[in-house]
Amino acid sequence: MDAYLVAMLVFAGFYALMALGLNVIWGLTGMVNLGLVGFFGVGAYASALLTSKLAWPMPLGWAAGATIAALAGGIMALIVARLRGDYLAIVTLGFAEVIRLVASNEVWLTNGTDGISGIPGPWRGAVTPQQFNLIFLGIVWTAVAIAFYLLSRASHSPFGRVLRAIREDEDVAAVAGKPVLWFKVRAFVTGAAVLGMAGALYAHYNAFIAPEGFAPLLTIYIVLALTAGGVGSMRGAIIGAIFLITLIEGTRFLAAAVPGVTPVQKAALREGAIALTLILLLRFRPQGLIPERTRTKA
Amino acid sequence: MTTFSLNRRAALLGTAGALSSFAIGGKLAAQGAPITFGVLPPLTGAGGPYGPAMLRAVQGVVEEANAAGGIRGRQIRVVAEDDQTNPDAAVRGARKLIDVDRASCIIGTWASASTTAVAPLCWENRVSLFTVSGADSITLLPHQGYIFRTQPNSRLQISTACDYLMSKGARRVFHLAAQSPFAASSQEVMVEKFRAGGGAVSGYIVYERDKTAFRSEVDQIMRSRSDTVMLNGYLPDVTILLRELFRAGFEGRRFTFAYAANATTFQSLPNEVTNGLITFQPSPDLDSGAFNRLKNRFGNVEVDPYSAQTNDHATLAILAAAQAGEATGTAIRDNVRKISQGDGEKVDNVTDGLRLIAAGRAVNYEGASGPVSFDERGDIQGTKFRYEVAENGRFRLLELV
Amino acid sequence: MEDWRDLAQVLLNGVMAGSVLMLPAIGFNCIFAVLRYPNFAVAGFCTAGAFAGWVANVQFGVPVAAALPIAFLVAAAVGLLAEEVALKPLRPAGPLTVAIASVAITILLENIIRFSFGNDLRGYDLAILRDWRFDGIRVNPQQLQNTGYAIIAAGSLFTLLAFTRLGRAMRAVADNPVLADIKGVDPNRIARVAVFIGAGLAGVGGMLIGIDTSIDPLTGFRVVLSVFAAAVVGGLGSIPGAALGAMVVGVGEELAGVVLEPAYRTVTAFLAILLVLTFRPQGLLGGRN
Repeated sequence: MDAYLVAMLVFAGFYALMALGLNVIWGLTGMVNLGLVGFFGVGAYASALLTSKLAWPMPLGWAAGATIAALAGGIMALIVARLRGDYLAIVTLGFAEVIRLVASNEVWLTNGTDGISGIPGPWRGAVTPQQFNLIFLGIVWTAVAIAFYLLSRASHSPFGRVLRAIREDEDVAAVAGKPVLWFKVRAFVTGAAVLGMAGALYAHYNAFIAPEGFAPLLTIYIVLALTAGGVGSMRGAIIGAIFLITLIEGTRFLAAAVPGVTPVQKAALREGAIALTLILLLRFRPQGLIPERTRTKA
Repeated sequence: MTTFSLNRRAALLGTAGALSSFAIGGKLAAQGAPITFGVLPPLTGAGGPYGPAMLRAVQGVVEEANAAGGIRGRQIRVVAEDDQTNPDAAVRGARKLIDVDRASCIIGTWASASTTAVAPLCWENRVSLFTVSGADSITLLPHQGYIFRTQPNSRLQISTACDYLMSKGARRVFHLAAQSPFAASSQEVMVEKFRAGGGAVSGYIVYERDKTAFRSEVDQIMRSRSDTVMLNGYLPDVTILLRELFRAGFEGRRFTFAYAANATTFQSLPNEVTNGLITFQPSPDLDSGAFNRLKNRFGNVEVDPYSAQTNDHATLAILAAAQAGEATGTAIRDNVRKISQGDGEKVDNVTDGLRLIAAGRAVNYEGASGPVSFDERGDIQGTKFRYEVAENGRFRLLELV
Repeated sequence: MEDWRDLAQVLLNGVMAGSVLMLPAIGFNCIFAVLRYPNFAVAGFCTAGAFAGWVANVQFGVPVAAALPIAFLVAAAVGLLAEEVALKPLRPAGPLTVAIASVAITILLENIIRFSFGNDLRGYDLAILRDWRFDGIRVNPQQLQNTGYAIIAAGSLFTLLAFTRLGRAMRAVADNPVLADIKGVDPNRIARVAVFIGAGLAGVGGMLIGIDTSIDPLTGFRVVLSVFAAAVVGGLGSIPGAALGAMVVGVGEELAGVVLEPAYRTVTAFLAILLVLTFRPQGLLGGRN
């Protein structure tokens, strides 16, 4: 049980990082990103490949994962920054699918659907599995703390205020003399870097990545986490991630207790309950558990 | 582990979570305490068409074993988690099975990605993992013996299939493969085999599994003037391809894995479309009772190869634990080969196996998916293949090679 | 491609594939035109329609042609219910909030269907016809028939929009909701009609996909990216645009199967989106933006 809880807290850390990354792009700047799992995947693959094929040290791999994801984010932003939100939702969704397909088909680089196994983890094998879990718990939550600190500062800096201005009314921000495109690109790069870092850490915790792991469902989960926590709020992103893991794991135990249904029906109840939670949250608690304090519009 | 922190954290997960922390440890606790088997099949996502039957097969075996008195008096409890055909969900599910339920083995991982993702957890926590996954890379992992893969090596499968096809006169074979961990290796084997046998692979396409239209792919098959097409995919896509080939009037041989066209194929396609389709799967001897018993348990419908394999997974784990006298993952690992191969008395079901083991006799389990003998890497060996042809909504056995 | 026939065949295959995408894309754009949000739940509506048609056809013996209206009505009802109960209250929070909730609705519908029917593949009670051949080019009568159904459904919508009071009111709201309101058109009623028609068309489209393949809880999900691509390429909110966009995406995906690699079909849809958005952001037939 202990090991399970620690492992789930490690997962909560990954989800918190992802929610923080999404929060910069969606929460602060108002650009919806339904392709966040794509950036997460880019970071995971970059770090996994550099550390296992080129034997880079892990911290360097993580940094590279974040950097390459940020680069992808920058390119993405240049393409989509002019688009309205609805187009953006569709394009980003497509982007994540493209990443997954490339990872499946470019076998020479990514090992295709076989995935990459044996990705090194810090002291993995030299310590007990539970010690490894605890070490990683420290690493991932340190990353969360650093990201939280930096992003919170950015959020309350002039940079963050411009992003919010863009979110509330892009035209007004432009009239006020702000280079909107440039700010959007910077927001996207920052968010994608955090997503990439989450992916990089994830790859080294799991020791294995494969294209199937970067499916759209994870994106929905993170959107749910941020919505639950409070869109625009950095503290909310972290609370939301913990809420998310409690929900997806808690429904496991609740579904098991439902009598008289087949295992498939239990699985359906569980996934359905998660979706329903998102709908109910949007309806009854749109500001999230930790509402953004500086938010001017509901 | 300290009781205090355990309870406080368990409370986080709600009462239901706290309740399940009463799960009993895998080591021999009090006499009569139940033994937990974890099952991790795909119940949602792309593997959804397979997982439910795989789980049913496990439950059937466990019920039978419990009715026969369980493992040395201890009942077996099955805990199933959905792997969502997603390695991320599979890892969380495996964590729960291992850490909360204290499962001594995990049965029935389907997607290769899920299996490879949970494999390190299994060997690090000394839990035996029984899988049906197709990727040959799985048993090459440093798994210390904890992995048992009942899906024959894909090179071996394709290679025997090529021999069979050539013996039936196939000379130009079109290889149509879903993007999977064994598409490319299958192609290598086919090219090699047919070149050596005086034939040729007349075309090779890797397609995206989730698509709904494959007309242009079928056009290429038609243009290639192939006498045989090898459909190396899964249920949903092979169903569409069979329909398209029928429409296009493909006259050649259609050949596929038995997991890509099973009893449900007859529900979604008319007989005139499926008639003549040849499938193959690993198989036990013709007179083996295990296959027929499973068929009867499923209500006399065709048994798909994955369910046959999970049937054997559960039986192997139970008999190995009975042989060892304890139900830890390591005990299962160390005893699977003692009850699955060798000179012991042949048994084809868990009841007979438990009875013989209790009487101190050596047994050799012959399963529904084959004779289930494992090599040192955990790969299945020495299996036969059964070739069947679809005829008016049933499969008829052609031959057993 | 050695022959003009090969090219003609690919184009024809593309049109057949496109005509299956057409109705869900039109449904998506119909809802977008009036409500100004992308309703990702069209995937769920497709699956709901496909299963409703299946129940009618297989369990109650209704012929396929007569089951299509049932698919329409059930999907339309599901769509309307989802809109009124879950999505409408979110409208004040902005279109993106509604869009995200619609993603959740798709997952919810998928699992309601999984709960009720399980994961097994199902097929309609329908003989499968051989292709016709014209000078080496093959055409399938069933697919032709499907294309016919799609055109009839789309044509009915065009007629409705062009020649009826309701249609004019819908266009008025799509053009300028404020002005329409002043003129006495009830925007709520029009919104309901748009969702009803949009979800219903997606349902018919889902059943047509099912006729051409087989159905399971993921039926709508498999085509959804191509459907969005069709809607964007044609121009969000444009109904003729959705029809044209579906053809472009359908042909593009089949061409990709021949020219590029079949394993990269979905990438074509994405590239089509990017190309259109780069050179003609309002879409091929999109008007104002």
